[in-house]
Amino acid sequence: MFLALKELRHSRTRFLMIAIIFVLISWLVFILSGLGNGLSTLAASTFKTMRADYVVFEQGSKASMSKSLLSNDLSAKLAEMPNVSAVSPMGTIMASAIKGSSKLNEDKVDIAIIGINPGSFLEPAIIEGTGLTSDQMTKVIVNETMKDEGFKLGDTFQLDGSTESLTIVGFVKNQTYNHVAAVFTPIEEWRKLAFAAPGSDKGVMDPVNAIMLQGKDIDRNTINEQLSGTDTVTRAAAVQGMPGYKEENGTIMMMLVFLLAISAFIIGVFFYVFTMQKSNQFGIMKAIGAKNGFLGKAVVSQVFVLSLSSIIVGILLTYGTAAIMPQSMPFMLDTKLVFTYSIVLLVISLLSSLVSVRTISKIDPLKALGRVE
Amino acid sequence: MTEGLQITAASKYYDEGLNRIAALDRVSIKVEPGEFVAVVGPSGSGKSTFLSVAGALLKASEGEVILHGKDISKLSGKQLSDVRLHEIGFIMQASNLVPYLNVLDQLLVVKRMSGKVRAADKAMAIKLLEELGLGTKLKSYPEELSGGEKQRTAIARALINDPNVILADEPTASLDTKRAHEVASLIAHEVRTRHKAAIMVTHDERLLTYCDKIYRMEDGKLSLAELESIH
Repeated sequence: MFLALKELRHSRTRFLMIAIIFVLISWLVFILSGLGNGLSTLAASTFKTMRADYVVFEQGSKASMSKSLLSNDLSAKLAEMPNVSAVSPMGTIMASAIKGSSKLNEDKVDIAIIGINPGSFLEPAIIEGTGLTSDQMTKVIVNETMKDEGFKLGDTFQLDGSTESLTIVGFVKNQTYNHVAAVFTPIEEWRKLAFAAPGSDKGVMDPVNAIMLQGKDIDRNTINEQLSGTDTVTRAAAVQGMPGYKEENGTIMMMLVFLLAISAFIIGVFFYVFTMQKSNQFGIMKAIGAKNGFLGKAVVSQVFVLSLSSIIVGILLTYGTAAIMPQSMPFMLDTKLVFTYSIVLLVISLLSSLVSVRTISKIDPLKALGRVE
Repeated sequence: MTEGLQITAASKYYDEGLNRIAALDRVSIKVEPGEFVAVVGPSGSGKSTFLSVAGALLKASEGEVILHGKDISKLSGKQLSDVRLHEIGFIMQASNLVPYLNVLDQLLVVKRMSGKVRAADKAMAIKLLEELGLGTKLKSYPEELSGGEKQRTAIARALINDPNVILADEPTASLDTKRAHEVASLIAHEVRTRHKAAIMVTHDERLLTYCDKIYRMEDGKLSLAELESIH
């Protein structure tokens, strides 16, 4: 630490330049991670926050709601399977809500209609208004982001391409599906909307898209074997099965991995070149008795101090950016994620400094004598 | 126990193509504590190799190097580092100070190499620097020092661990005559008062009056020269 700090203080400009680059990199890493987190929340928060552990799909549906069609008759059989503590069906369709009878562009809002059994474990907690009721099928609860679009408690809106209209009786939070606000309806209402065209239910009795299960350590194979035509997956797998979810996350992930690799090289190369420049100095110190460990520690602690302070500045800048970002941006910082990426960045820069440590251990103290005969 | 430095029949060979070059050819020398010895000779004569072997920087191909009673020719790299740190004080050519450390830290970093710096170490370093006339320069960086001051700092650094042997490699190389005399007499003074065994490699024959014995190096062979024959 002694040498490291003395040198940092003495060659401020040099270290400041590399610190600025590292701050920018970590800033970008945190922003990307926030965007990735925001996007995946937007894509699937309804699924992610759902109190279900497993999802039963139709066989061959690739764990995707839109490709799956099951009969609710299965619910009774599923409830008897070992370790299953609760069962509830669910259905989704995409739709558009029209404010009143407006013809303006901004008065059409994309929504995802999610049909559930009122009062089941799938119904999210209400933050305003009341919950769903079985006898009033057109009374719905919606995500609070619809308030930003101008919808209020008690508003009735028309569905595009349908004669049905729905009335908002309650608001919930963090419920988005396929990047749009979720609208929860009783499952009978959902059936009416989803299978408006005759024959679109393929003749399935009481059709639903999937059946959610609660329960620890449910044996998926047993269910697959006993109930033919079904495919049971974990909730995490169902999130992955959402259209575009993997692709979206994959893109962000790829950028993050590239950034981390770039930061490793920048830090590694900077300190390597720096070490080469100072090889004479290191030779002198070795000649007067410094061991490789002493000099190696100096470089590693220098990298540590530089990376840690750059990361901290990067985090501050990220939270600053988050504060001024428009609400509509799908940006969501997760403290756990920020912490994880900080550690990853720190470890990567420390590992890349080991190249310099190796270089130091190879420097010959004879260099100090200025000439080797 | 042998005090000081004793080298017996040390040779160092280098392979150059098919030939075997003897940079050091059965060199023997004994330097007692309090004795200041000079080694002179043309460049390429093996002076630097000699100093490297004496200073535990290079292992001799043959022969014995005994430093304060310890044979250092069989030690490992790490042990040699320790010998250099505790037993040897190096005074090298100018501009061999660490550029980002001030004068006091140049000395304290040596203490750091062997562990923690205690308040006593710091007090000792300050006292040593004051004795060498650097009392007002404690916080100065090498770039702010004159050539003579740099060399005095290097002398202080060589003395900080109270080594038994002082080795100086052309300590006056970049100094003018007046400063060169100052530095050489300072080394001689410190060597005698502190009772160190010291060897100075130089080609500056003006400085030999400060030395007790003078050896001449030629083609890897070391021989005692008469003081009179030089003057």
